[in-house]
Amino acid sequence: METVQFLMDGFAVALTPTNLMFALFGAFIGTLIGALPGLGPANGVAILIPLAFTLGLPPETAMILLTSVYAGAMYGGRISSILLNIPGDEPAMMTCLDGYPMAQKGKAAEALAMSAIASFAGSLVGTIGLILLAPALAKFALTFGPAEYFALFMLAFATLGGITGKNPMKTVVAATLGLMISTVGIDIATGTQRYTFGVLELFEGIDFILAIVGLFAISELLFFIEQRAGAGRKLIKVGKLMLRPKEILQAVPTMFRGGILGFIAGVLPGAGASLGSFISYTLEKQYLGKRSQFGEGDPRGVAAPEAGNNGASSGALVPMLTLGVPGSGTTAVLLAMLISLNITPGPLMFTQNADIVWGVIAALLIGNVILLLLNIPLVGFFVKLLSVPPMYLLPIVTMVAFVGIYSISHSTFDLYFMIAFGIAGFILRKLEIPMVPIILGLLLGPEMEKNLGHALVISDGDWSILWASPLALGLWIVAGLGLILPYIIGPLLRRRMNAAMKEDPVSD
Amino acid sequence: MTARGDRILGLGLFVLAVAYGWAAQQWPEPFGGTETVGPETFPTLLAIVLALSSVYLIVKPDPDAQWPMGRTAAEILLSIAILVAYAFLLEPLGFVIATTLAVGTLCWRMGARLRSAFVIGLIGAVVVFVLFNYGLELSLPGGLLEFE
Repeated sequence: METVQFLMDGFAVALTPTNLMFALFGAFIGTLIGALPGLGPANGVAILIPLAFTLGLPPETAMILLTSVYAGAMYGGRISSILLNIPGDEPAMMTCLDGYPMAQKGKAAEALAMSAIASFAGSLVGTIGLILLAPALAKFALTFGPAEYFALFMLAFATLGGITGKNPMKTVVAATLGLMISTVGIDIATGTQRYTFGVLELFEGIDFILAIVGLFAISELLFFIEQRAGAGRKLIKVGKLMLRPKEILQAVPTMFRGGILGFIAGVLPGAGASLGSFISYTLEKQYLGKRSQFGEGDPRGVAAPEAGNNGASSGALVPMLTLGVPGSGTTAVLLAMLISLNITPGPLMFTQNADIVWGVIAALLIGNVILLLLNIPLVGFFVKLLSVPPMYLLPIVTMVAFVGIYSISHSTFDLYFMIAFGIAGFILRKLEIPMVPIILGLLLGPEMEKNLGHALVISDGDWSILWASPLALGLWIVAGLGLILPYIIGPLLRRRMNAAMKEDPVSD
Repeated sequence: MTARGDRILGLGLFVLAVAYGWAAQQWPEPFGGTETVGPETFPTLLAIVLALSSVYLIVKPDPDAQWPMGRTAAEILLSIAILVAYAFLLEPLGFVIATTLAVGTLCWRMGARLRSAFVIGLIGAVVVFVLFNYGLELSLPGGLLEFE
């Protein structure tokens, strides 16, 4: 089994003291970010990217840091769901259903511990899936030519709006805007200046780190000012932990089923963690039927969605690592990091940068063990953090984003650009234009143009080469479905999730 | 329900698409004559896609979002102004002073009490400055506080 050998090498990379330290740091910071209302995994990773750069970390260390932040944020997200009945992000909605009732019954500590264990189990299942599936997919992807790659990029855009995305046409607009931004700068093939207006700073194109931090972090600040949310929340007291082994054992099958379902949802383009936590909760509820009290504070009702969403977060890494096509917003941000480190994500990465890929996978396993060990004793600390008013927190987070961007280039020009992206992000988010396709367009634009060029050169200018092979055609069809399906499934899924929230008599 | 937001956006994007596409046609022919794919091929394609999808937004807009009005809008504009001023003053005033002012004002406008807002701003600024300059050895501008 060569996979085992690679994984062992990966552990050797991940277990060096420096990398281990960064994994621990990332897991801790990630949990903090996830626990804070309003900050999700994508924002968290986006804010830390400039820091990873300015520290000049080697690629594998930078990736280990960011994947640990990612995993940590998925863990942390559940804390506000359980204690405040406020889901930090969409996937955390399902955790409210049984988590909050448990907390109201005075079993907050048990709910938090159960969710930590379930998150661990879900991630474990997801990471094992990643180890089994990724190398095979990478091998398959090696057969892709430029036309197939072009179609694959189309697929990525079509599905990234996500099943929960509302208007597919807005996904198209967003992706196109991102691609347009990526064409700014000097054309690599011909040396033509494109859309630079003679401005020196634009010759090398627009750095997507600026765009990411602006779109995610700065627009979040503006949103907060508009809503002024978060004042006067009542925290539920976390009592002494009294989780009986029997309760954990009872939930183990639930966790594994949830992890597998979540992983599948994560691998599927565009489906992601929301679907992962939703189907694992609903299917588990149906499967257990009368043997459970889902919705009234059943520990298994916490375990199922948590295992599901953490399984999905590992699953989303599969297309990102093997095809260079991210399956979620956060993985898009991770992809940005890889590209900035001069690593071309995709099937070749498994041969050319094997140490990075397997180091990251091993770090994911280690990170999850760290998270489990960190989360049970430190849960009180993370809970305390929820009582820090966001009015202090958000300005400080914004400042950290400024510092990070400034330290990369020491140029104030970049800061203005970042602010401009923040304002644009605020307006576009108001108009329900999704952010992630913009980022993806920015990231994939150069590759996409290159592949289009290669394909057309091969065919001597015949555009039909783009859908000539069965594989390319298949990808186009799936891309088309990806655009149409949200029309049908999106409203249904959202309605179901909202209905489930309302059914629950305790929540308000 | 009105749908003005999407219509204005659609119109703006349409104008952008036309300008972007037009600009692409103006580039000089690359050295060595026209190839099948030139620097303008991909942008032209994008301009067409954006033009079509912006027309769709004009024809079939979504219902409008709630736009901030009056005081809230003023607060948002103010905080954007603070951010721009922060970027502008970062180098001349130095990191610690500029950050204290920016974070302090933002906290205050978000509803914190004036004194605690600026105390938090100062603490945050000093902690980050020390961490970055001495811990991570990344130089942040000292500005007015710089001494040789």
